[in-house]
Amino acid sequence: MEKNYNVCTGCGMLCDDIEVESEKNIVNKVYTACRVGVAHMKEGRESAVFRVDDKPVDEATAISEAVAILKNAKNPLIFGLGTSTNETQKLAIELARKTSATLDDTSSFCLGRVVEALLQNRFKACTLDDVRNKADVTIFWGADPSDSHPRHLSKYSYFPRGTEKQRGWEEDRTAIAIDVRKSHTAKICGNNFFQVPPGGDAEFIDALIAGLSGKLPKTSYNFPPKRILELANILKGAKFGVVFVGLGLVYSLENLEPLFRLMDALNEKANFHLIPMVGHYNMRGFNENLFEETGYVNSVKFEDGAVKHGPEYSIVEALKAKTVDAALIIGSDPLSSLPRSIAKNLLEIPVISMDPCETLTSRSSKVYINTAISGVESGGSATRMDGVKVEFKPVVETKRLSDEAVLKKIMEAL
Amino acid sequence: MDFGSFLKSPEIKVKVVTYRDIFQDKAMIENRFGEDYRDRSAIIKLDSADFKQLNVKKGDTVTLKNSFGTIVVKAEESGYEPSHKGIAYMPNSPWSNMLVSDETGGTGVPKFKDISATITSAKGAKVTEPGF
Repeated sequence: MEKNYNVCTGCGMLCDDIEVESEKNIVNKVYTACRVGVAHMKEGRESAVFRVDDKPVDEATAISEAVAILKNAKNPLIFGLGTSTNETQKLAIELARKTSATLDDTSSFCLGRVVEALLQNRFKACTLDDVRNKADVTIFWGADPSDSHPRHLSKYSYFPRGTEKQRGWEEDRTAIAIDVRKSHTAKICGNNFFQVPPGGDAEFIDALIAGLSGKLPKTSYNFPPKRILELANILKGAKFGVVFVGLGLVYSLENLEPLFRLMDALNEKANFHLIPMVGHYNMRGFNENLFEETGYVNSVKFEDGAVKHGPEYSIVEALKAKTVDAALIIGSDPLSSLPRSIAKNLLEIPVISMDPCETLTSRSSKVYINTAISGVESGGSATRMDGVKVEFKPVVETKRLSDEAVLKKIMEAL
Repeated sequence: MDFGSFLKSPEIKVKVVTYRDIFQDKAMIENRFGEDYRDRSAIIKLDSADFKQLNVKKGDTVTLKNSFGTIVVKAEESGYEPSHKGIAYMPNSPWSNMLVSDETGGTGVPKFKDISATITSAKGAKVTEPGF
């Protein structure tokens, strides 16, 4: 019997082995997916909603109001797109060019700089399939996939039998967690959990580098040197090692220099790759698409055919400095995900929110366009956390427009 | 010992570290304005010594305050070992974001996982609504 597998767009893993049962375009049952994936696949229940100034309107009115906002703005912000397809992202880049917009996504305040370094070949990369088939030592650093990417350990990084790892976690793999708290992933790693104090990662990295060279590893917080030397010995023996970098590590480092030093040191002694623990299903796609177009992964401003780049064009700094005078937010909820002290500035400018679900941002926006759930109700392609391209078809049909269709209508009207 | 701990309603200084929680994520997807999401987001996990010092019971509300905002959330013991006195944990959410500093040093990256705040018992006050 031929199976019809779907792709789950619930996180950056883009699991492609999902089966669903649906009736009348409602997903009733989801097999294989994790708890988050099941909720995501069953999300679509609402009928199309368009609102302007909190009042229900028709599609044409919402689109023309959105167009008017973008036309009147001198420096609109286009933000989001982490849960949009590559095709939608490319359209948004074109729209940003056309409207001389500031364009950014969530990666500017999470893993963007790691993805940028990967695209600049500063780290040795590998795919999740390589991890499943070959990896013998995996490090989860400031990452807790048991909560953020629930099938990560079972599908790729620890439990599975791979072509060259037939004895799985019991004998063939060693998983290590380095974190500020004993997360669910850290519990699975057992004795290979190394608890560092908040902000202590850079020091731990340098101590580990010392340990890798046989020197005495020292930290100001007196981490037992013996344990760091034990860790260094495990890492030196890795034939195919992978460091999964999470937000805990990225937020703890002022810049990526310590991570560059560590990966270089690991690759002098062993063979280590790096994969960022990307949350949103196509954040990496946004970074790659923008990189291809402009040479930057986020935080850009289009002006007179040129592209400017820098933290001042990130959503955080642009809102803080109040340099943007309108915002088109696509599949994101900055009023929830940004510090309130910064996000509140969004309330002072006209906001267009395109989102499949009601959020704090959609409720506060001047124009709200309720779009189809990307990957469930509309198809396209996306880029997995490891850079692998994945294509998907809609699982069910909907009357709601995809974000791609909305952007096309806005572009045409502009 | 902090002067605050001698007050009738002890006030404790904590560093709050945020984290992801799969159950909270699922609740968010199902309804960002629902009770389940609020119950799984508006919580703070404290070291048992801090928890006892505040003189609260599991599920009692506490007030977290700093110069960026004030929130009322439910308190519980983390159950983590070893002791992490002075460090508390909260799932990343609109509630934790009400306390995040706007100081970024021009980097575009707020300190989401490095929040300083004081905690006191909220004496039965309700959990903060995250709306604007």
